[in-house]
Amino acid sequence: MDEKGLHSIVLIKQVPDIEKVRFDHEKGRIDRSSAEATTNPFDLNALELAVQVKEKVGGIVTALSMGPPQAESTLRDALARGADRGILLTDQRFAGADTLATSYTLAIAIKKLGHFDLIVCGEKTVDGDTAQVGPEVAEHLGIPHVAYVSEVKNVTREGIIVNSRMGRSYYTFFLRFPGLITVTKDVNVPRLPTLRDMMKARRAQIPVWTSDDLVDIAQKERFGISGSPTQVVRVFTPSTEGRIGKVIQGDAENIAKELFIVLRQLGILG
Amino acid sequence: MDRDERPEDIVKALKSIVGSQWVLTEETAIEGYLRDETPEAIRPHPAPWVVLVKPSKVQEVSEILRLANSRKIPVFPLGGRTGLAGAAIPVKPGIAISLERMNRIEVDLENMMAVAEAGATLGDLIKAAEEGGLSFPLHPGDEGAQIGGLIATNAGGVRAVKHGIMRNFVKGLEVVLPTGDVLNLGGKLIKNNMGYSLLNLFIGSEGTLGVITKAVIKLLPKARYTVTLVIPFEKRRDALQSAQLIMRTGIIPLALEYMEWEEIERTSRHLGEAWPAKGKAQLLIILSEFTEEGLLQGCEEISKICEDNHALETLIAERKEEQDRILRIRSNLYTAIKPYVYDILDVTVPPGRIRDLMDKVDAIAEKYGTRIPIYGHIGDGNLHAHIWKEEGRGLEFANKVKKEIYEASRSLGGVLTGEHGIGKVRIQEAHLALGEKEIELIRAIKGVFDPNGIMNPGTIAG
Repeated sequence: MDEKGLHSIVLIKQVPDIEKVRFDHEKGRIDRSSAEATTNPFDLNALELAVQVKEKVGGIVTALSMGPPQAESTLRDALARGADRGILLTDQRFAGADTLATSYTLAIAIKKLGHFDLIVCGEKTVDGDTAQVGPEVAEHLGIPHVAYVSEVKNVTREGIIVNSRMGRSYYTFFLRFPGLITVTKDVNVPRLPTLRDMMKARRAQIPVWTSDDLVDIAQKERFGISGSPTQVVRVFTPSTEGRIGKVIQGDAENIAKELFIVLRQLGILG
Repeated sequence: MDRDERPEDIVKALKSIVGSQWVLTEETAIEGYLRDETPEAIRPHPAPWVVLVKPSKVQEVSEILRLANSRKIPVFPLGGRTGLAGAAIPVKPGIAISLERMNRIEVDLENMMAVAEAGATLGDLIKAAEEGGLSFPLHPGDEGAQIGGLIATNAGGVRAVKHGIMRNFVKGLEVVLPTGDVLNLGGKLIKNNMGYSLLNLFIGSEGTLGVITKAVIKLLPKARYTVTLVIPFEKRRDALQSAQLIMRTGIIPLALEYMEWEEIERTSRHLGEAWPAKGKAQLLIILSEFTEEGLLQGCEEISKICEDNHALETLIAERKEEQDRILRIRSNLYTAIKPYVYDILDVTVPPGRIRDLMDKVDAIAEKYGTRIPIYGHIGDGNLHAHIWKEEGRGLEFANKVKKEIYEASRSLGGVLTGEHGIGKVRIQEAHLALGEKEIELIRAIKGVFDPNGIMNPGTIAG
């Protein structure tokens, strides 16, 4: 690691491609087979920010992801876009985790990584939509955090000055390292990888950590489903009723008659 | 019909054919139908009065044409009005036909064809093909363009280099002749060798022979993997050399586009989006393949060629939203430049001569002390050159510059238009690329189909 630079950790998640994914209304869940997996778009903004920090003050960027073995491809994407290394947390024991167990597992892995200065997350994932994991990680680690960062004003080796968008107002914060931020899409435009970096990333070794690798500093029962006080009972999208248009033509008397029938059918008139 | 003739009886007859709510005469209701995307400086002016009809079926189109033919009333078939040569503008008092209500599409998976009514849009066709498990691989510009217009103008676009143009995809047509006769040409056939191809005569006829009401369009399986490469160079020469070498590898990109920094920057600013790479001359290459390995192998080969020819880097976009952003900027180059130019030309030369064409265009710009921004479908020899609005120098100047560019294209074995068509704005110069005998034959063919000259007068043959 660059002694003079910063160690930034980016938390990354693989999600279904939200443009293609279908929702299984009967079973109340996302049909994951309907869409290819992709990197959560906000996480690319997080990664871009970390890479820009590295370019400005030096250091390294670690991309960390928890997910099934195939989430490895998301870490390769991160390597292609400027991360120096990627680590995949994957284990049956991590499965079924809610935001608390997820953030706990990620926090333990971060502790295991040792020294760090800045953790960057996307504001939320497009499949879970909770925006909880980032701030929870910071709480597990006992470090300050700023959510919804939409602009970086300055960064030094001591800390980062950011604008955080909270509804209609912006807050400007100085966050002393170590600290965590979550970023919105406005914070930057993620760069494209070069073909050379992408091909290199495809050949890179991605270390895999399982629960056994973390158990010396963790409580195993806090991983996965056993560490999750919340469970998703049902997911549903509220049905939306659009406007119904009907053109009634004819003379006034017939229009009135037909209108009366339509309104009665709709239960508006008795 | 004379300008003074009152159209009431015609309006009445049209109403009895399509229903009164589908016949429009008020200026406010129809003004949007009377222009297309042709640059304002050269766009033809619509006639003082035009009746707009919106038929819902081929029989209605047939009756409209029979009526118009018997009274010798000009008929202007409209598409999505996205054309750039004024072909859809009704320049004489007459009947404009919008086929927007005829927009059904059926996808036949077994034969891999779509049957689309002429008023369906390109966007509708792309969507229907996707939903039917197939794809329509061309992308001739604006997705609001209608099938009838795409065929009538034989549209091309950025993906011609791999898949060709509309002519390569139209296998059947239903057309209505001025007499009201309905022809069914071709069908769901890959091979069809029944003499003269009347089908092909209608493709690119710009509404001058009859009204296209329905088409059988070939579809392809969906390519499973698509990436977009952005490759910046410092020098145009290097970018063009790379493009030529790429074409010789046997890798056929879906698109091979050339752009220059000033236009990229203007468009990015116009859209509020960011282009991924700096560099004076840039190649945008879209590749699509059925295997990921094949795709990446192609990318590496292209990248090697470009880097051997001094490319600054090769950037790759795999994510859909990133590929869409790049294509959106490319697709809006014209939108961003439009207010500043007299005309957008689409001269086309043999692909190996496009470098020479660009040099000649540069020399013309220097001669006239103007700028002629260019970009184009370099893979198929099609160059868009823009005649800049110079202060104090009017259309006369623009026409001189245009004529020189046309002549440059001709001297390299090219044509005046590879995409936009002759329309109403290139008739005066058509003789530069068409011989006297050709023009005579074109006029004779027109006369066979449309002896009264009612179909889209003022277009192609004048």
